[in-house]
Amino acid sequence: MTTPDRSLELTSEVPQPGPVPRLRVGRPTRARLDEGLDVMVLARPSVPRVELRLSLPAGSAIGGSSAASALLRAGILLGTRELNQEEVSESIQRLGGSLQVHQDHDRIHISASALSEAEAELYHLVCQITTQPAFPQEELETERVKLIEGLRIARATPQFPAEEELQQIIYGSHPYGRPEPPESAIRKTTRRQLRELHRATFLPSSGQLTVVGDVEPRRTVARLRRAFAAWTGPRRTVRVPRVHPKNDSRVTFIDRPGLVQTVILTGASGPPVGHPDQIPLALASAVLGGSFSSRLMSNLREDKGYTYSPHTMTVSHIRDSLVGAALDVRTEVTAAAFVELAYELGRLATVEVGQDELEQTRNYLAGVRVIFLQTQAGLASSLAQVRAYGLDHRYLEGYADRLAAVSPTQLRQVAARYLSPASVTTVMVGDATQAGEALGRVVPVRYRGRRRAGTA
Amino acid sequence: MAVGLYYRVGFRLEEEGRTGFAHLFEHLMFQGTERVPKADFGQLITGAGGVLNGSTRHDYTNLFEVLPASALEMACFIEADRMENLDINEQTLQNQVDVVKEEVRVNVLNRPYGGFSWLWLSQYAFSSYANAHNFYGEFADLEAATVADARAFYKTWYGPGNATLVLVGDFDEDKAMALVERHFGPVPTRPAPPVPDLVEPIPSARSEHRRLDPLAPNPRVAVGYRTAAFGTKDHLPLALASRVLTDGRSSRLQRRLIRERELLLQIDGGPHFPIGDAFEFKGPALFTFEATPRPGVSTERAVTAIDEELARMAEDGPSPDELLRSKRRELGSYHASTDSRLGRLRELGVLAAVHDQPELADQLPLLFQEISARQVQEAVGRWLRPERSTVLHWLPDLERGKG
Repeated sequence: MTTPDRSLELTSEVPQPGPVPRLRVGRPTRARLDEGLDVMVLARPSVPRVELRLSLPAGSAIGGSSAASALLRAGILLGTRELNQEEVSESIQRLGGSLQVHQDHDRIHISASALSEAEAELYHLVCQITTQPAFPQEELETERVKLIEGLRIARATPQFPAEEELQQIIYGSHPYGRPEPPESAIRKTTRRQLRELHRATFLPSSGQLTVVGDVEPRRTVARLRRAFAAWTGPRRTVRVPRVHPKNDSRVTFIDRPGLVQTVILTGASGPPVGHPDQIPLALASAVLGGSFSSRLMSNLREDKGYTYSPHTMTVSHIRDSLVGAALDVRTEVTAAAFVELAYELGRLATVEVGQDELEQTRNYLAGVRVIFLQTQAGLASSLAQVRAYGLDHRYLEGYADRLAAVSPTQLRQVAARYLSPASVTTVMVGDATQAGEALGRVVPVRYRGRRRAGTA
Repeated sequence: MAVGLYYRVGFRLEEEGRTGFAHLFEHLMFQGTERVPKADFGQLITGAGGVLNGSTRHDYTNLFEVLPASALEMACFIEADRMENLDINEQTLQNQVDVVKEEVRVNVLNRPYGGFSWLWLSQYAFSSYANAHNFYGEFADLEAATVADARAFYKTWYGPGNATLVLVGDFDEDKAMALVERHFGPVPTRPAPPVPDLVEPIPSARSEHRRLDPLAPNPRVAVGYRTAAFGTKDHLPLALASRVLTDGRSSRLQRRLIRERELLLQIDGGPHFPIGDAFEFKGPALFTFEATPRPGVSTERAVTAIDEELARMAEDGPSPDELLRSKRRELGSYHASTDSRLGRLRELGVLAAVHDQPELADQLPLLFQEISARQVQEAVGRWLRPERSTVLHWLPDLERGKG
């Protein structure tokens, strides 16, 4: 079935809202500290708190071992030369704040917060854990076990093998194709390797520090200078290798007998943040599966009832992005759901989107950005994220204008380039014996896992 | 701004033979009216630059939007319209039965540790149907739901007399109240029936239960203790105790059981954990810990160790520093939550709709600061006792797991 573009004139009784408000981020204060640390501070005194983000090029694609990177991420919270791990946790709690470390393929992100009265103490604590991690042997062994067991649990979900397979097909031997390290590598990584990786990647000149909150920017910069004065290191650029993405027009089906749903994951290499195709593709992705009223929701959920939460997603990388769609469907409708997914991808790539649907989707993306940036935490995370791509607050403020500039033709063209049925790769995880026969009639299928040859 | 409607109906008011109905009905609230048909409903909100969602909990269901303040009148129109004129028909009902079954599959049946522990622990910990049934719904019950059931449920529980509207954001209060009056004023009254008493006796002996999971690679365990009711003297001290016990690596249970005694890989918990907090319930509820033992450590050993640490807390209470840190964290998270329109809506909504005390939202930080170490110690000693608990051992199903 098609989901025709409905005109909102049908519901003219409904009071009309005004335009989405323009996003005003305000002008941040920039500073480069003596050793090269790039600092951005923005006053946002909505509540008496301060949010800090420190981003460093220490992702899983850096340094040749994703196991070492993963342990480095965990190791940062294990204490310093002066404080053990509980004392680090106690310190941040006394500041009324929190401390987390995240990692993606390209970077490590240290996120910390405090009550604003404890601002200076927060900076000293973050500097200490960043520059003087102790990587204590005994605690490291516990983290190793936690990491291995955590990965075993992740691998037991049906989504994980789908993601792993998709990334492997698209990126091959590039580090982006290797989302999580094998257990054996985690076991073998030594404390010395961690120290070396830390020394090579935790460099002030490649770090980006973002502070947002109830602060006075000039005083904050002075405090940061004092707190981070001891962080020194050579000026070196850490690079991620170029990607050479591939696709596979067959469906790769990983057999997990007994599953009651099939995970369907489809995706392709897309443009990096800041690329001219990025905003048109963000719109195309939102039309397809970005909201409650997107096409995948309208068709596969609200019309067919095949799935609960079909959605599109974008994973940003320095070198590109991984764009695609994901849905979990009951086993018996696997082939039918694939047909509808391919139809929606094909329609987006061949038929121009109507003005109403385009306008609604622009407003949605602009509005979501306004909502997310209303909090100190959302603003700090967004600024830190765009800074990793060499952009700044102006990118956030100009987002709505760039959405407005995208034409239906441009949207169709980028959808055809990145998200058409011919450009995406699809991976499924489910019960092959139950789903395979019907699926084999609509698309060539390559089986992985337990399914015996010749049963369909 | 954020706009939320809180209806005082949740899992516990579902009738026997209709498990999962409160949540299924929440889905039907997104299926449109004659004036705003299903396909337009979401488009109006997303097209205004907003987001929308809803959730069903034990004692309430909320429907909310976050959107530009200029869309307030539209939101009032839409909410009043679906309060009065919801289009309940066979087609959308069957469609949403299918969707909810997919939701149960993705969140419970097709994943390791599905529904652990909230969906299952209460089924063992309570004895009355209201508190102990499958809140997500047995498939047979979902499939048996009829249009007549839905119309009756709507008429009974989704009237203005059973709802609280909450608005949060930058707007003129008088103008907003005039818009609310204009759109909700004409909705005919449907007084809500009295809610049955849900209280049931507190257990006097620990009960232990096992579930086998073909997808789970490791054992986990949950321990649920009946917790203090809202507004009683141990209520806030227990909420603070959950921070002392499980908040962060320096918390008592993480420090003792993960690092010092090397028994667990992970432990977390608190009142109404993991789907709510100390304020999210009106009827009886659990204070739950969830733990993952280290490989080679049994779930029984993990439970004994939790018992030992809780007994120590009941004996000695928190240290002055543990108490101070928990209060600082409480203050920090109050401010963080207040910074978000949706966070503020959630705090106010539950306190206003479920407890009729919205003013408490801004008093809580101070009330938490006044709690003494002795109050925490005594609350733990009274409530977190082995004989008042239910234990759920969640174990890998080695037979079926091999496939």
